Amino acid sequence: MKLKNFYAAHESFILGGGFIVALLTIWESIPLWYTLSKGMALFFTTPSRVTVTFSELLINGEIEKHFYVSAIAFLAGLGLSIVVGLPLGLIMGRSATLENLLDPYVTACNATPRIVFLPLLILWFGIGIWSKIVIVFAGAVFPLLINTYTGVKNVNRVLVNVVRSFGANEWQVMKIVVLPNSVPYIIAGLRLAIGRAILGVVVGEFFGSSQGLGYMIASAASNYKVDVVFVGVAIFMALSVILTLAVKQLESRLASWRPETAKTF
Amino acid sequence: MRAKKYFSEHRRLWLALCSFFFLFTAWELMLTYIFPVNPFFFTKPSLIAAAFKEQFQGTKLWHDLAVSSQAFLWGFSFAVIVGIPVGLVMGWRKRVEYSLDPFLTALYASPLVALAPLFIIVFGVGVLGKAALVFLLAVFPFIFNAFAGVKSTDSLLINVIRSYGGSEKDLYLKVILPSTMPYIIAGARLAIGRGLVGVIVGEFYAASEGIGFAITQAGDTYRLPDMFVGIIILSLIAVGLTELMRKLELMVAPWRTTDEVR
Repeated sequence: MKLKNFYAAHESFILGGGFIVALLTIWESIPLWYTLSKGMALFFTTPSRVTVTFSELLINGEIEKHFYVSAIAFLAGLGLSIVVGLPLGLIMGRSATLENLLDPYVTACNATPRIVFLPLLILWFGIGIWSKIVIVFAGAVFPLLINTYTGVKNVNRVLVNVVRSFGANEWQVMKIVVLPNSVPYIIAGLRLAIGRAILGVVVGEFFGSSQGLGYMIASAASNYKVDVVFVGVAIFMALSVILTLAVKQLESRLASWRPETAKTF
Repeated sequence: MRAKKYFSEHRRLWLALCSFFFLFTAWELMLTYIFPVNPFFFTKPSLIAAAFKEQFQGTKLWHDLAVSSQAFLWGFSFAVIVGIPVGLVMGWRKRVEYSLDPFLTALYASPLVALAPLFIIVFGVGVLGKAALVFLLAVFPFIFNAFAGVKSTDSLLINVIRSYGGSEKDLYLKVILPSTMPYIIAGARLAIGRGLVGVIVGEFYAASEGIGFAITQAGDTYRLPDMFVGIIILSLIAVGLTELMRKLELMVAPWRTTDEVR
């Protein structure tokens, strides 16, 4: 009876965790009940082999080396996009003329997968860290920019007028009303930006690169080291899940009043 | 006076056109007169326009577009066929939601493009590898938007159908599906962007035809105008498709405000 209550209280957790465990178990046991042909076995790996490879790579410092390079590109690109995106978003939200002038470019760039610029960026910035930083920046800046100016535009007119009536200048309006109102939007933008930034790091390092986790995946795939591919993919998965969930927590704390329509990453 | 009124009514459009015009003129003039143009690293609108004309008359561009869109359409169609039912069931059955949600959320949040090299090597450089990649990237927005749509269905409407003796079929066709439709279209808009990433990355990684391949090839041989032709065509397609979805969204659900995150 107690067990039943326990299950009822934690049903979502048990079912969710159980599904993942079951999936991993089935994956692990495939070689036991099905013999793969030689060709397919080349592309096949099991979770246990991936774990073993992971610890090996961790011990010999391989992961640390690549991780460091990727992390720098990620942080620099994301930082740059925050530095550029937030102020520009605030200004665009406050000035209708500037918004009309810039909005077509922003919309077009946001709809286009930024990845298409990668060959151009490699040509301009070389195969070093700079082309990665720029592609991360290009991916992350638009969600931030768009969300910031949506937040600024959705500010309550009455509040702005009240503050103005009491003699506030533009800067004070910004500080007292506009910024606090846009914080939830900015955080939502940040969550999207993190996803785009990680995408930029991965793809940026696939091509014309000699270091970084993306490079590790691409070179392992062309050498048929499937274990290493999955190690890289698992690291990226863990990082994105942790980062996006952390921002999501922040978001739901700051913006519990804002209805969420559907998950977006 | 009338001209002024006309201008203020279409202010948005005019300012956008002016800014386009100004940008391209400035770009052209700057590279023609101020910087001595180095055609290996920079290019200007007039050269891009010439490349456009040449490529439009050739057959290679059309062939590349056909190859890429074939992969995209296959992957995207499978994403629709698989994603929507999974999302609907997840929204309707609590236990299914509990089981699938953590797993699918983790996959949705993570950069699955990282699997691109593996996919291309396993499935080959043809349509199959790219289509599989597109499917993998595009299926999640459909699942989660259909899911959110079912969740947001007004339970009062469901009760009304039940009270008047409607069948399970009526429930789905008359209440759940119509109220989920706008969400699904919003999902399609996101899925288009992600699917395009799949095609492009797949073709960047390894291909012998396709628009992504045309762009990298132009880049590798320093033909910048040709590269810009590819980039501009892709942007136009992306913008066209997303705007189409936005219009469709407004048509299906005019009551919904679309100030959500893009």
